[in-house]
Amino acid sequence: MADASQNSPSGGRRDQQDSLRPVTIKQILDAQPDGDEFRIDNSKISQLTFIGQIRNIASQALNITYKLDDGTGSIEVKQWNDMDATEANPLRARLVEGAYCRAWGKLKSFNDRKHVNVQIIRPIDDNNEVSYHMLEATAVHLYHTRGPIGANTGASQGAVNNAGHQQTSGAAYGTQKLAGYTPMAQRVYQYLSNEPQSNEGLHQQDIAAKLGIDVADVAAAGDNLLEGGLIYTTVDDQTWAILEAD
Amino acid sequence: MDHPQTPRILAPHLSSFQHKHVRILGKVLQLRGETAVLDAGGNVDMVLNRDCHLAVGHAVEVIGKVDGNLQLRVQAATDLGTSIDYAAANAVVEATHRHKEIFYD
Repeated sequence: MADASQNSPSGGRRDQQDSLRPVTIKQILDAQPDGDEFRIDNSKISQLTFIGQIRNIASQALNITYKLDDGTGSIEVKQWNDMDATEANPLRARLVEGAYCRAWGKLKSFNDRKHVNVQIIRPIDDNNEVSYHMLEATAVHLYHTRGPIGANTGASQGAVNNAGHQQTSGAAYGTQKLAGYTPMAQRVYQYLSNEPQSNEGLHQQDIAAKLGIDVADVAAAGDNLLEGGLIYTTVDDQTWAILEAD
Repeated sequence: MDHPQTPRILAPHLSSFQHKHVRILGKVLQLRGETAVLDAGGNVDMVLNRDCHLAVGHAVEVIGKVDGNLQLRVQAATDLGTSIDYAAANAVVEATHRHKEIFYD
């Protein structure tokens, strides 16, 4: 995939295909064609969700076409009739001209004219959803163009070491919770809290070596902490990581 | 396009949008027959059309054109009830101007 920079390496194509992205109608109109698909902010899009006021309704034999306007542009959305439906969609009566609604669907292009095939279109009950959607679309746009929140603000130590942030909070949490544990268990816990490590945690051999104590003592301390639910075993019974309580 | 872009603005932005179509969300303060006053980060004088059904104290989203006297000539008004979070709505205006690329040309 050419757009690997937007995703974790393990994310891959499936995540892209299954994504649901909140967008403004201007973003839909600006979407760049890429084969059969489209890109927004250089990320492939799949399902979209957006809001708009209904400007026009055209009922046809096989579908209903609504024209939605959210102030940033307008686009036609088509809802294909469900031939198996036994009764009419009760929401449809409330989808009238001027009403705000939310739609979910996929962008299509026909003769260079874009429209969205929607699975669901429903009226908006709480009008704050309009504000919410605009802010969410902005947040997701910024995520795609500038990266995750906190990655470059310095507000989170996570930027340097992914586990670092969690460990700090774990240590603070530990000071209150460690009262009932053996001194050795407290030492091991503090060490696990402060030592840089991967998601797999640390092996008891390494802990023993670093702290200069006997492996058997570390094992006993580990059992103590495991029983209390403060740590958990990861790749094997001798490798432990701090159990985050949040 | 038959429905032009309608940038979301507040009262302080009116002078920058003279003779343009805009969208303003605010609270109805006064109704005076043909005109009304809206609170949207400041007062906005509106000239209503016949299709407006406003209620004092309700939130309303109006689409209209700013005239030379900075009055809003209303083309469409949507009543949004009484539970609108104005702080969120004003944050949207701010976001749309700060990150204009996804909202307006």
